[in-house]
Amino acid sequence: MKLGVVGKGGVGKTTLSALLAQAYAADGKVVLAVDTDSNPNLAMSLGLDLPAAEALPLLPRSLAVGGGDGSMSPAAMIATYGTATPSGVTLVNAMRITQPGGG
Amino acid sequence: MRSILAAAIDDEADVTLVDMEAGLEHLSRSGGTLAYADALLVVMEPSRKSILTAGRTIALASQLGLERVYGVGNKAQPGDEEFFATVAAEYGVPLAGIVPADDEVAEADRAGTMLEADRGEPVRRAVAGIVAFVDDALVGSRG
Repeated sequence: MKLGVVGKGGVGKTTLSALLAQAYAADGKVVLAVDTDSNPNLAMSLGLDLPAAEALPLLPRSLAVGGGDGSMSPAAMIATYGTATPSGVTLVNAMRITQPGGG
Repeated sequence: MRSILAAAIDDEADVTLVDMEAGLEHLSRSGGTLAYADALLVVMEPSRKSILTAGRTIALASQLGLERVYGVGNKAQPGDEEFFATVAAEYGVPLAGIVPADDEVAEADRAGTMLEADRGEPVRRAVAGIVAFVDDALVGSRG
């Protein structure tokens, strides 16, 4: 199941995303959280401290919008760019897709 | 985000939750991406503008082929539950849940830390309600 969460700055989107992810994990689900916000704060809401959050690998845009060229499977993507967090949720930081005309 | 949200990700995770950018222009640009999502939650604060924005987001998402889009009323103070219900109905925003403002959540936000397991119980209950709502909404929608 794939769930998107959107919201303007200040409404509590990131905190709520983290709480939703934690709720699913507490239910025993395997949860992958993907942060595409230009301010990647989801890491801290999932229990990583600031140094750990800032050291996270960043999923390159080319992979984020790869579109089926087969360059990397989801399993490999998670193994390479995913980080376990104290919340029990695996986190991937992905570059925000904003370039005009891009994927 | 096409490769992350491709169907194959469901082989690797039970739930993939994508914390997305907010703006309508971003949503329209990422159009093809959204179609992969099973559902989209639009987080709102207790203001008419926030709910109006959610209504526009829902209309845009619908044009982009995503029908299961729901509002979440966040940081609700006493009295805001009725406010959210009334104004959301006015602007055509179906509600997946209303989350109360909570001192312990606010404290975690100030500290920049994860909410501890034994904190924020009213918020956790509301979040569990949203999980149940989304589960119900998706019943029968996937093979």
